[in-house]
Amino acid sequence: MNLIVCLDNRNGMMFGGRRQSRDKLLCERVMALTTGKLYMSEYSAKIFPESEKIVACGDYLTAAGKNDYCFCEEPPITLENSEKIIIYRWNRHYPADRHFHFDLEELGYELASTEEFIGNSHPTITEQIYKKVR
Amino acid sequence: MAYRRRKNKHTAVKVIATLLVIITALLCTACAALDFLPPEIAEIFNSFLGNEEDGGGKNNVPEYVDLDSIPAYSDNAYVVINSNKPFFKESDYTTKAYENYSELDSLGRCGVVMACLGKETMPEKDEERGKINNVTPSGWVQKEYSNDIVSGRWLYNRCHLIGWQLSAENDNERNLITGTRYFNAGNAEEQGMLLFENMVADYIKETDNHVLYRVTPVFEGNNLVASGILMEAYSVEDEGEGICFNVYFYNVQPGVEINYATGESKLAD
Repeated sequence: MNLIVCLDNRNGMMFGGRRQSRDKLLCERVMALTTGKLYMSEYSAKIFPESEKIVACGDYLTAAGKNDYCFCEEPPITLENSEKIIIYRWNRHYPADRHFHFDLEELGYELASTEEFIGNSHPTITEQIYKKVR
Repeated sequence: MAYRRRKNKHTAVKVIATLLVIITALLCTACAALDFLPPEIAEIFNSFLGNEEDGGGKNNVPEYVDLDSIPAYSDNAYVVINSNKPFFKESDYTTKAYENYSELDSLGRCGVVMACLGKETMPEKDEERGKINNVTPSGWVQKEYSNDIVSGRWLYNRCHLIGWQLSAENDNERNLITGTRYFNAGNAEEQGMLLFENMVADYIKETDNHVLYRVTPVFEGNNLVASGILMEAYSVEDEGEGICFNVYFYNVQPGVEINYATGESKLAD
């Protein structure tokens, strides 16, 4: 499974049960990147355009198959079965009470690529792709 | 933009209203000096002018702010109040953009600011932030510390109650208070008001929705520096699904002891 998360400068994900931020161009990029199905929660599906690729369900983290993608905004997250982790960094500071706590290199992931792009409401979003190497 | 044109028109109206208030105040001062008014009438005048001894009411906070429910500062720049649910009333909800800034009180202190924020209230694309250093908020006794105590060295910022990125308000004295760097900034070390303003600004830009927003400065007694502010926000069109918070920020600077009555400060023991 390919896991996708969005993080602020302190690896924050949510505050008060809500996402920290969103960006239309990031959603378009995720859609373009995805081959196969894109799993996510009902909450996340509301910010994506309608598409047959999208599967919105409660158990999206476990339902996604080996080559599918999983867009996760709501911790807790398990990295089990995640061969690839795609991190989008907002490059901004937001309040957070839920975080992405993992040390990816410690867990056997290696940074394979880094790319920056301009978002709709974010001057620079950084895409980092980590691959499982051991 | 129609809202901006109305806003400029409102500014002219505000100037006229301010002049009228000043004239009224001068007349009333003259009346007080003549000392011919019965005490109960004088009390009404004083109340109208905000001249009570405690500066305008017990601790100068509206009834929705329960000071007893706010814990003492302990390492976090802010604390969640009322499980993040704002204290707005049903009748407050609107999708019509507006901004309302309280008059300064008799001690020159800001009061509650409330707005329905939307793209209409935000700066135009490419609009640059203007100067604000012509405003001297109450309690402004600036002092320099070493960089390891205050990032940027200067203790105080002129803090927008409604941030510029949300309101396009620059040097509006009714929107600027004396606040510490720690209270105002938002970065890796400082988790101040800016973090929440960023979240609201992104939401509005991405959705075109409106956010009901209120900032209540808390001045205890006759203090010239606020102890903190209560910030409430609620996204109207989606009934709080996008934005819903109620947070109190402590106007403190770790390592510095502030005299809130005057604004003077010194290194903490």
